[in-house]
Amino acid sequence: MSAAAEVAPPLRPGGHFWRVFLIGGLISYRALFYWITPWQYIPTMLAAPTFQILFFVYLGRAAGVGSTAFFVVGNCIQICSMSGIYGMTMAISNERFFQTLSPILATPSDRLAVFLGRGLPVLISGFQTCCFGFLVSALILGFRPAPAELPQLLLAVLVTSASCTGFGMALGSVGLRVRDVFLIANIAYFAVLLVCGVEVPLHQLPLPLRVLAQILPLTHGIAAGRLLAAGQGGAAPMVDVLLEGLVGICWATAAYLLFRYFERSGRRSGAFDRL
Amino acid sequence: MRGPGLNEALSWPRVVAWGWFYQLKMQAQSGFMLMTAVIQPLIFASIAMADQQAGNHGLPILYYALGAGIMGIWSTVVFGCGGALSWQRHQGTLEPLVMVPAPFVLVLMGITLGTATVGLYSMGATLLWAAVVFRAHVQMADPYLFTLGAVMTVVSLGLLGLVMGSSFVLYRNSNAISNMIEYPVWLVTGLLVPLSLLPGWSHPLAYALAPTWGVEALRSAAFGGQPLPAIGWCLLASLVYLAVGVWLVGVVERRARQTATLNFQ
Repeated sequence: MSAAAEVAPPLRPGGHFWRVFLIGGLISYRALFYWITPWQYIPTMLAAPTFQILFFVYLGRAAGVGSTAFFVVGNCIQICSMSGIYGMTMAISNERFFQTLSPILATPSDRLAVFLGRGLPVLISGFQTCCFGFLVSALILGFRPAPAELPQLLLAVLVTSASCTGFGMALGSVGLRVRDVFLIANIAYFAVLLVCGVEVPLHQLPLPLRVLAQILPLTHGIAAGRLLAAGQGGAAPMVDVLLEGLVGICWATAAYLLFRYFERSGRRSGAFDRL
Repeated sequence: MRGPGLNEALSWPRVVAWGWFYQLKMQAQSGFMLMTAVIQPLIFASIAMADQQAGNHGLPILYYALGAGIMGIWSTVVFGCGGALSWQRHQGTLEPLVMVPAPFVLVLMGITLGTATVGLYSMGATLLWAAVVFRAHVQMADPYLFTLGAVMTVVSLGLLGLVMGSSFVLYRNSNAISNMIEYPVWLVTGLLVPLSLLPGWSHPLAYALAPTWGVEALRSAAFGGQPLPAIGWCLLASLVYLAVGVWLVGVVERRARQTATLNFQ
């Protein structure tokens, strides 16, 4: 083989971005997502959310608040945040934990591709978990969403998974600096249950929590999901879906800015991987 | 002056007591454990209490506060005891612990009881939360039996943790089991949902699990019922867990020594 043949062909403009985004994202997911093996994935990402749905449906029945559909839709959409919050936290801050952050930041790769690429598998995983939750709820609890609104409901789930991924990116970026980001991720995961109207109707919450809910992921997606599952299509749920997407974009932008800020400050202090 | 016989008789309780004390000190400084024992139960208590206020007010706030408190104890047991041996293995301290002359089961018992005791934070936190935030009337009809019930609950859950700790060590992905079994036990033991609302097939499972009797004892003591039968069931469950735990730890220890796999991760 000639030496010339060994030289890689020049990259098409933009080709490098997509390669880092898709292949790099997939590799980082495989390397950094703890729960990827079936022995971890099934109990953690499928069984635990199923029990969560059952628990809150029965709690709702005991308290005499909301319908079964209220809790099914709320929890089925919320469980995508398990992938979004924990998955993204692992995908970004575990680089620091495994001491691989410095080599990655030493490469000339596009930071946006490195950063966003990690989100795609997490988003898909979150969407999968939601769909599984709906399927199990249909089988065990007899949940039946309005068939005509099913495509829009899936769109709401997809957008909510994306916004949770954006939120998780922000937590992951914080993990580049703080010592125990998983503690924050745990608190965030449980706090959204209370604040985002998953288990408690939003109007029951005090005003500060209602305001906080508007800027957190899930709130608008769940509101849209409940309308769509009840067969109330039209503009109202789509406005909620748009708001959910906007919230996700804001969180992802904040996350990227935080990531770049911590990268720059890490370069200055020479402390990328300090634990 | 104590003779050698007394010293020998006290050596086993001493191993458990010191293990309990050091575990309590360590866990009390763990951010994850404090999250599990305080923040998480407060969130669940808030959800249950807010739903109660929005719903039919069928059950008093204190009912939910007590249930959420035991949920916190169960979570600390699931994550703290379920991974106790795996954690020692990860830290490289499992071999020295097995090697020392004290029976390993006593060492492990101190660890699991210490972990369950940390869960008592959650009981205090949810009761305080109910009183301050939800204006609940937190008064125990029988404070002495309530205290006895709380102690028995912690002991029985700690001994259940001994069973879990020794059996989970055989499973490499024990944290995945811990993630999975938190909700089902909360549900079937009637911590927030009355057992009467659950399907009949789940009741035998509930009766085999200590949280069912623990919460029953505390609620009876708080609301003026008869807590002693539930405390008795807690005691019986503790003895069964102890027997199973001692047997399991022996099996695991023997197998690990024979196959030289004690420190495999």
